[in-house]
Amino acid sequence: MRAALAIAKKELNVYFTTPIAYVTFMVVTFFAAQFFNGSLDAYRFITLRALQMQSQQALQAMNLTDMVVGRLFGSIGIFIVIAAPFLSMRLLAEEKRSRTFELLMTAPVRPWQIVLGKYLAALVLILASVALVALFPAFLSFFARGSAGGAGIEWQTVGTGLLGLFLLGAMAMAVGLFVSALTESVIVAALVSLIVLLALWVATIFTIGVEGPVKDLTAALSASEHLAGFLSGRIELKDVAYYLSFVALGLYLTDRAVEGHRWA
Amino acid sequence: MIEVSHLTKRYRDIVAVDDLSFTVQKGEIVGFLGPNGAGKSTTMRILTGFVPASEGTAKVAGFDVFEEPLEVKRRIGYMPENPPVHDALTARAYLRFCAELKGLPRRAIPGEIERVATLTAVTSVLSRVIGNLSKGYKQRVGLAQALLGSPEVLVLDEPTVGLDPLQIREVRELVKGLAGKHTVILSTHILPEVAMTCQKVLVVNRGRLVDFDTLDGLIAKHLPGRRVTLDDIAFLEEIYGKLLNAPSALQAPEPAAAGAR
Repeated sequence: MRAALAIAKKELNVYFTTPIAYVTFMVVTFFAAQFFNGSLDAYRFITLRALQMQSQQALQAMNLTDMVVGRLFGSIGIFIVIAAPFLSMRLLAEEKRSRTFELLMTAPVRPWQIVLGKYLAALVLILASVALVALFPAFLSFFARGSAGGAGIEWQTVGTGLLGLFLLGAMAMAVGLFVSALTESVIVAALVSLIVLLALWVATIFTIGVEGPVKDLTAALSASEHLAGFLSGRIELKDVAYYLSFVALGLYLTDRAVEGHRWA
Repeated sequence: MIEVSHLTKRYRDIVAVDDLSFTVQKGEIVGFLGPNGAGKSTTMRILTGFVPASEGTAKVAGFDVFEEPLEVKRRIGYMPENPPVHDALTARAYLRFCAELKGLPRRAIPGEIERVATLTAVTSVLSRVIGNLSKGYKQRVGLAQALLGSPEVLVLDEPTVGLDPLQIREVRELVKGLAGKHTVILSTHILPEVAMTCQKVLVVNRGRLVDFDTLDGLIAKHLPGRRVTLDDIAFLEEIYGKLLNAPSALQAPEPAAAGAR
C-alpha cells in the first residue's frame, strides 16, 4: 500500500508541476461557466415570460436546481468524458516511452500496487474537477431563495449530481488507464480512450429508429443514460453498478496488462 | 550470489542471449564486456526481472528471478542503459519516490538521499528539475537511485556513458569502493574501464559467452609469457580482439571457455 501511495504522490507531483492538470481544470471550469450562465439566463427568461402571462402554475413548477444545476451538470458530463483521456493518457504510456517503466517494473512492487497508485492519482484529479464544478451551485445558493423563504437550492439533488459526475469520471479514468497500459504513445492512448468513451456516451444514437432489445441494450450501455438518474436526484443501483463495473474491469485489465510485461 | 544457467532469450527469430551460464560470487565486481548488440543489456534485464528468459534460469541471492521476483528486486539496485528519471521532478523528489518504492523506512529516507547524492556528487543539483540537468547529471541521478538502500547486488548498464573524463574517474572510484560489500555487474564496451574497476571479466559476443575469467587469468591464457601491468590497457584490446574473432578463439586450447559452454 505504501508503494501505491508513493506512486500516487509522484503522479500528482507530475500533474501539478506540469501544466496538464491546470489546463484541464481551466477547460472544465470555462465551459462550466458558459453553461451556467446560459442556463441561468434561460431560467430568468422563462420566469419573466411566466410572470407576464400571470401563470401561477408555470411559476410553481419552476425548479432552480433542476433547470440550472441539473442542466449544467448534464452538459459537464461530456466535458469530463473529453477531459479524462487527456489526464489518463500519460499514466502508463509515458512511463514506457521515457523508459521509467523499467524503474517501476524492477522495483519491489507488485503490478496491482502500480495500477492502484496510478488510479488513486487519477481519482484525485477527477475529485478536484468535480469540486470546481460544485462551486457553481455554491455561488447560486448565495443568491437563490425559495418561494417559501428557504434555501433556493436542493442540496440533495446537487449532491447526487456531483456523485454521478464523479462516478462518470472514475469510469473514464479506469478506461483511460487501461488504454494507456497498452501503448507507448500518449497520443494514441488519448485518442483511443476518447473514442471508446465518446462511443459509450452517445451509445443510443447507434440505434435511432430501432425498437426492441437492441435499443434497450444500447440504452443500458450508454454512459449518459446512466447519469440521468443522478442528475434528477436518484441514486439507483443499476447506475452505480454500471460505473463501478467499468472501474473494476478497467483496473483488472490494466493489472493484467502490466503483469503481462513480465512475461514477454 | 548470482547464478545464471543456460539462459536464452529469443525475440521471434532473433537470439539475443544464447545459452549463457556464469556464476558471480558475493562481493565481486564483474565487467560485462562485449560489442553492441552482444546481449549485455538483455541479460541485465533478465537478471532484474524486467523481461523473462525464453529458457534457462537466473538466481540472485538464491531466489529465482522469475519465480520470486519481489525477493530478487528487493536485493538489486539497477541502473538501466537510459537513466529512468522523471524529467518533471526535482532530483530530490525523484530520489524520495525511488526510496519509497523500494520500501525504505520513512525516517531513513532523507539521510539516505543525502548519502547517495554525496556518493554520486549530485548534492548541488538535488533541488533542480531533472529535465533541466545535463546528460552527465541525469546519468548520476540514475546511479544514485540504484544505490538507494545499499542493495546487495548492483546491476549497472553502462554507468559511465555520457560523463566527462573526470566524472568517469569518480564513478570508477565509486564502483571500486563498492567491492566487498556489494556484488556488482557492470556492462561496458570501454576497455580501460574493465581493467580499472573489475576483478573479473565476462566477455560475450552475439549472445554467447566467450570467456569468463579474472584479468590475470585472461592475460595468462591469451597472452602467455607477456608481462603486462593493469595500467597498460593495450593488452586488453588485444585479448578482446582475439576473443571476438570467435572461430580462432575457439580453436585455441581454452579449457575454461570450453567448460563454460
